[in-house]
Amino acid sequence: MHPALQGLLTIIIGVSACIGYFYFSNQFLDKILLPAKGPKAGRNITRANQIRPWLFLFPAMLALGVYLAYPVLETLRLSLTDRDAGGAFVGLDNYRQMFGESKFWEALRNNLLWLIVVPAASTAFGLLAAQVTDRIAWGNVAKSLIFMPMAISFVGASVIFKLIYDTRAADTAQIGIMNAVWLQFEGGLGSFLFLRILPLLILLSFAGIVGYAGFIIGRPLWNGAYRAGGGAMKVGRAVVVLAAVWLAVLALRNVIDVMTMSFPYGEPQTWLTIPFFNSFLLMVVLIWIQTGFAMVILSAALRGIPEETIEAAIIDGANPFQVFFSIKVPQIIGTIVVVWTTITLIVLKVFDIVFAMTNGQWETQVLANYMFDKLFRASDWGVGSASAIMIMVLVTPILIWNVHNARKEMA
Amino acid sequence: MTAVVAQDEFFAAAGPRPRRVSAARIGVYCFLIGAALFFALPLYVMVVTSLKDLGEIRLGNIFNWPAELTFEPWIAAWSSACTGRTCEGIRPGFFNSIKITVPSVILSIIIAAINGYALSFWRFRGANFFFGLLIFGAFVPYQVVIYPLIIFMREVGLFATLPGIIIVHTIFGMPILTLLYRNYFSSLPEELFKAARVDGAGFWAIFFRVVMPMAVPISIVAVILQVTGIWNDFLFGLVFAGRDNMPMTVQLNNIVATTTGTRAYNVNMSATILTAAVPLAVYFISGRWFVRGIAAGAVKG
Repeated sequence: MHPALQGLLTIIIGVSACIGYFYFSNQFLDKILLPAKGPKAGRNITRANQIRPWLFLFPAMLALGVYLAYPVLETLRLSLTDRDAGGAFVGLDNYRQMFGESKFWEALRNNLLWLIVVPAASTAFGLLAAQVTDRIAWGNVAKSLIFMPMAISFVGASVIFKLIYDTRAADTAQIGIMNAVWLQFEGGLGSFLFLRILPLLILLSFAGIVGYAGFIIGRPLWNGAYRAGGGAMKVGRAVVVLAAVWLAVLALRNVIDVMTMSFPYGEPQTWLTIPFFNSFLLMVVLIWIQTGFAMVILSAALRGIPEETIEAAIIDGANPFQVFFSIKVPQIIGTIVVVWTTITLIVLKVFDIVFAMTNGQWETQVLANYMFDKLFRASDWGVGSASAIMIMVLVTPILIWNVHNARKEMA
Repeated sequence: MTAVVAQDEFFAAAGPRPRRVSAARIGVYCFLIGAALFFALPLYVMVVTSLKDLGEIRLGNIFNWPAELTFEPWIAAWSSACTGRTCEGIRPGFFNSIKITVPSVILSIIIAAINGYALSFWRFRGANFFFGLLIFGAFVPYQVVIYPLIIFMREVGLFATLPGIIIVHTIFGMPILTLLYRNYFSSLPEELFKAARVDGAGFWAIFFRVVMPMAVPISIVAVILQVTGIWNDFLFGLVFAGRDNMPMTVQLNNIVATTTGTRAYNVNMSATILTAAVPLAVYFISGRWFVRGIAAGAVKG
């Protein structure tokens, strides 16, 4: 059959099935099950109207049950069974095996790095871009340019960046932008400024910001303050503090590396095979895509700020930085959080980029790709399901927060 | 922000015209130029590379406009690039993507519109549970459902078939759309429904003659959101579509991953452009609507 015809047929069948269901089920309810006539007409109408909403929602409920609720529970069950033992229940063995694998810890570490870097960078760039483009003549052109990557698939973006990171033999002309730029450095003053001082400043300010944030969040813990919150709150604070300390130490350790490392000037590098560093190259792809999203939403929020507050601040003598950080940002903090969590959700599921660019080699593994590896290459459903549950566990806090917010909005 | 302040001061202050070029202004422009380079350069290089022949690419000069324009790579990417065993280019993927996208978009929007309407038309017990399920469905990481779904679909004979992948996309596209429609319908003035009911209109009459004509904007948003989402999807296409229905993104990845002999940069880039053509066309045609659609549904992943 011709493909177009086939597609058309699918649509017709699907649509008529939908309409047929809604029409006939209502007819059945009104005419046969609870007819609106005879001695019980009144009660029948009331009852039919109680049932009717469920009639409409039934197909969706069924679909979500079969395609969503059941698979989630089944994954949980499978994560407790072993394939080699014929699907026998093995308790937490899969998790134990997973926790014993260095690849898993590598994936978890990378996921955490992604989780911190990508939402932060995308939101910050997006906010900056929104602020800067808002009142400039060609701001709209810049905006539509920055937003364009949103239309490109993750795989497409990965292919583009593969070209940018491309490497060819040392004696041939380089095609990748990264290497072409890299070969401009030869160890002089420019190299010193760009490769030692700039990373140093970035790392130090990163360590400073993270350390300060950890200090602010953790302060109630060792102050014994009344504002520390309940038990769960305290645990949450402790986790954040530990993560902050870890990140700060990580950054400071890299400071030493950056200062002492001898760079191989003049030699083209295979960027994607340099461990640790390559993860950041993959993150750039997602930042490239997501900044436009952050910019658009934050720009709408910025426009919604009442002019009077800004004017008042200016009259009171606030400088542009004060206007931005003390007047504007606090008023759109809710939107910033929404953007941040949205990108966080995307990051936690990130799969396409890693799959297409490195497939988790050279220490770039992330959980979603680890899970894919286990499931389809090692065909080990136990550990695969266990890692899927790990992703689920990481997503759950945001999920709950979203449900909570949506409820509030709908009430 | 500096620009704002500079302007405000300019209009407010009487006296000599302030200097237009300030350090802050230079900073703003530097940032904008840097950002524009970061976002545009990859796209520019993609286009330029796709228009050169391999010999010219090998000379380096990445940023140069092609000395000799050639559309050979585009033709090769479309109809003769190799993916593993077959050398049919990305064309089959294009048609597969259309076959997958169009029915999924239509079906999920119909179901979502009716459900969203039902949810806002009646307030009933248990609706909250349903909301919870919808939000869960909109945010759940798909990795959690993949394996049991493969087993289930294999059991019922839908695995690696066109209807199978259409059903998956329809169901996983539906929750976010239902929430969109429900919120939109709830924001309509209630008097509208009351008036229609007083005039004797039933559920369907209100739906088709009152609600749907007013739901055109949200429907455009929904279409854009679904078309770009499903077209750009990779994971579901990779897992559920099977070899005969591979969507364009999977085909693209296969073409790029196939390294027989020399790497054909120009063909890879052409294939990328061709894959991105549909969402980019949607973006350029719909403009602001596209932004709204993405903003409404970016929660989906």
